[in-house]
Amino acid sequence: MKQNISVLMDGELFEDEAESLLGHIKRNSDARMNWEIYHLIGDVLRQPEYVHRGLSRKVRERMQDEPVVLAPRGREVKQQIRTIALSAAASLAAIGVVAWMSLQISPELSPRLAMQQAALQPASVPINADANDYLMAHQELSPNADMNGGASYIRTVSYSLDAAP
Amino acid sequence: MMKFIVFFGLLFGMVAQADAEDMPASLDWLEVVTFAGRHTDYSGVFVYQYDNRVETSSIIHVNDANGEYEKLECLDGPKREIIRHDGEVWGYINHKMVQLGSHGQSSFPSLSAEQLSALRANYNARLLGVERVAGYNAQVILFQPRDHLRYSHKIWVDTDSGLLLKAAVLGNRNKVEEQYSFTQLQIGGKIDRSWVRESNMAGAYAKNPHETNNDIKPINSGWVADMLPSGFKKTLEIERKMHGKHAPVTQMVFSDGLSAISIFIEPDDGDEDDVEGLSTRGAVNLYHKVLGKSLITVVGEVPPHTVMRVLDSVRYNGK
Repeated sequence: MKQNISVLMDGELFEDEAESLLGHIKRNSDARMNWEIYHLIGDVLRQPEYVHRGLSRKVRERMQDEPVVLAPRGREVKQQIRTIALSAAASLAAIGVVAWMSLQISPELSPRLAMQQAALQPASVPINADANDYLMAHQELSPNADMNGGASYIRTVSYSLDAAP
Repeated sequence: MMKFIVFFGLLFGMVAQADAEDMPASLDWLEVVTFAGRHTDYSGVFVYQYDNRVETSSIIHVNDANGEYEKLECLDGPKREIIRHDGEVWGYINHKMVQLGSHGQSSFPSLSAEQLSALRANYNARLLGVERVAGYNAQVILFQPRDHLRYSHKIWVDTDSGLLLKAAVLGNRNKVEEQYSFTQLQIGGKIDRSWVRESNMAGAYAKNPHETNNDIKPINSGWVADMLPSGFKKTLEIERKMHGKHAPVTQMVFSDGLSAISIFIEPDDGDEDDVEGLSTRGAVNLYHKVLGKSLITVVGEVPPHTVMRVLDSVRYNGK
């Protein structure tokens, strides 16, 4: 069981196994304890400034202490939300200004900012051998082929598993 | 508050300046590399790394009165060989020499003034010092894009001959998408040319200009793509016959000087093999999609989201 929890934390468990293990952790307090200890170990190994211990228990206790508000929302609350929203918008705008200025001042930074936006990669599979004709047709007219010389043609004849008999 | 922001911005800029102690690179390097790659005789062995794979190949490049000849041979896996001569490509595949392509022009035209300015606008070129590759001293040059729609290109150029010794295409967080690198290289001197004559005698190079002209013809198809990254200019628009296709295929090629994007348009014949989707080999991404009655394919040495974005913007604008 302990080993499975460790594997789960490494993200190496299959989805269905992970689900049943998480269900088990929810029901079984020993397993939950192990889960928390493993996280604690991980936190200590990563050497942060503070190590949180028993965080979930503390959050639960604090939530139980929170009074339950049954009164309907008045104008005042709405007004407050609006103020918060406006100030949030203002600080976002400030970040925007800083980002914009850094772009103006240093072009080196812009790729880095842009790279962050592109962090999400769509799913992709290896190019099928059937599509080699497109690759070849593209290759012979790409400046990339010109600079790399014939070397880039190796792409089009690359040994792909699909092409293997 | 405003003052603080201004100061912060300046500081940010200065830190970045201090960081980049490397010299800005001149784009003349690209001209040098292209020229040297065409006019130098060399032979060597290089490795090609992509998608967690490594392949070793040998390459011989020679010039004679009839032009450039180049032989490329995979040293791993099944025997695969490619011979290039004056814009024609021949492949030795399944024990048979077949013509794989020809585009009538001996090589890609060298960079136009327009392309050079597009390059300057879209990439930040820097010299990163000198490193040793395959026993030669190489100047390292990094072309870093100013947006996230293209890859970074890092090249290692022989300081004496100007030959490209190593080239890497870097993606998000400097992940190596693909890389070529010579491990052994002989520049000039005695190079085996026997294959040039043999191939000529075998008729492998027998030119058939009529067929070539029929295969490819320039057209104005009326198709456009609205969402190409800035600096990508159309270098070619042709109609070509392609293996296994009944109808001619329209191909448009766009280039920003370092990378190219091809858009292929053909009637959708409902072939089940033509599934919609994204596929990748090294730095090349390919995206297939049926739009109306046409099958559109976008291929390029650009990130996946770029080929998808380009394809989704393809439309018929009328002639």
